[in-house]
Amino acid sequence: MIKMTKRVRLEILVDALFAPRLAKLAESAGFTGHTLLRTTSGRGRHGEWSEDLVTGATVKYIFLAVANAKRADDFMTAIAPMLESHSLVVLRSEVDVVRPEKF
Amino acid sequence: MDQLGATLLSAPILFFVLGALAAAARSDLAVPETVAKGLSLYLMAAIGLKGGVEVAKTGIGPELLSALATGLVLSAAIPFIVAPVIRSFGRQNRINSGAIAAHYGSVSVVTFVTASQIYGNSGFAIAGFMVAVLAMMETPAILSGLMIARRDGSGRMFDPDVLREVFFNGSVVLLLGSFAIGMAIGPDGFAPIEPVFKTGFTGVLCLFLLDMGLIAMRRILQTRSLTLRLAGLAVVFPLVNGMIGILAGTLIGLDPSSAAALGILCASASYIAVPAAMRLSLPQADAGLYLSMSLGVTFPFNIVVGIPLFRWMAENLGKII
Repeated sequence: MIKMTKRVRLEILVDALFAPRLAKLAESAGFTGHTLLRTTSGRGRHGEWSEDLVTGATVKYIFLAVANAKRADDFMTAIAPMLESHSLVVLRSEVDVVRPEKF
Repeated sequence: MDQLGATLLSAPILFFVLGALAAAARSDLAVPETVAKGLSLYLMAAIGLKGGVEVAKTGIGPELLSALATGLVLSAAIPFIVAPVIRSFGRQNRINSGAIAAHYGSVSVVTFVTASQIYGNSGFAIAGFMVAVLAMMETPAILSGLMIARRDGSGRMFDPDVLREVFFNGSVVLLLGSFAIGMAIGPDGFAPIEPVFKTGFTGVLCLFLLDMGLIAMRRILQTRSLTLRLAGLAVVFPLVNGMIGILAGTLIGLDPSSAAALGILCASASYIAVPAAMRLSLPQADAGLYLSMSLGVTFPFNIVVGIPLFRWMAENLGKII
């Protein structure tokens, strides 16, 4: 049986333009890595949105990262001022990982 | 009326209308995003190259320099003209007013490209150097819009990310870069690549406008924040700004086709460079609002009505002045 360790998984829906800013904050909080996932469309309080590479203004990514609880807390504190102004949708969950030293 | 009919029945405009109708009918017609992005890059490279080659033939003269200076001033000034109207008549706050105003001071590359093609096909060719004016007018309005939105001193005016977006935005880099390449290679260097960048141009423009029709109509259908007042302003602004551009172009001595092109540049609203810069610098501004106005209302208005109208205005003003 492979040994599993608890870590925190963060998924953040973010405008593509702001993704580099999140990546910098994650790095500053000690995250060892992250992944950006493309999205195609969705619906929110301001109506529907869809991927549009021509204007680029409504392209959104899912920022996905796994870290220990301390780093995740530091990162959440750093992005707190952006939550409302940048319309971030943040999901935090506990996950089991193998090779915990990677996170 | 003949010009209006000819414009409405040109293949690029008909493809644009097809896209809009398909979106209105909730058709599943779609141009893959990466293909649309590729088409836009092709169009910008082609228009930049053609402009550069034309300037290589004629050289850099006082007409080019005065057109550049006029474009710069108009792009910076238009946001200050439209912002108070958006704030009072449009009932928007200072941040939304600044963000929307920046869009109307900047320019739409696709509107210019479409006008250039339609005018060119009917013997009303725009001077090649107007491509440089197009690139020049992309960015000053962004700084003006930020000044309007941040009059209270909130936020950093010159955030490095915003400045990078303003000056090294992909469309600006490609337009200016291909313009410079066109000037460097001249007509002889352009001849071997002409089949790619000239022969296929109108066909690619048709496909791109099909996608723009889909995007513009879906933007209107998706928005929740566009009011009748703002939709009205999105029609009035291009008319007023277009007239200002044509008048300025005629007064500095541009030929009627180039004066019409300057009118189109002033009438058009950006939906490539400015939305990205505004999202970065004014994230509180309602992106649905400024994209709906510039892309959903002003862009179709200019494509269908503005292009023949500004030609008619420029030709008649040229006879008077």
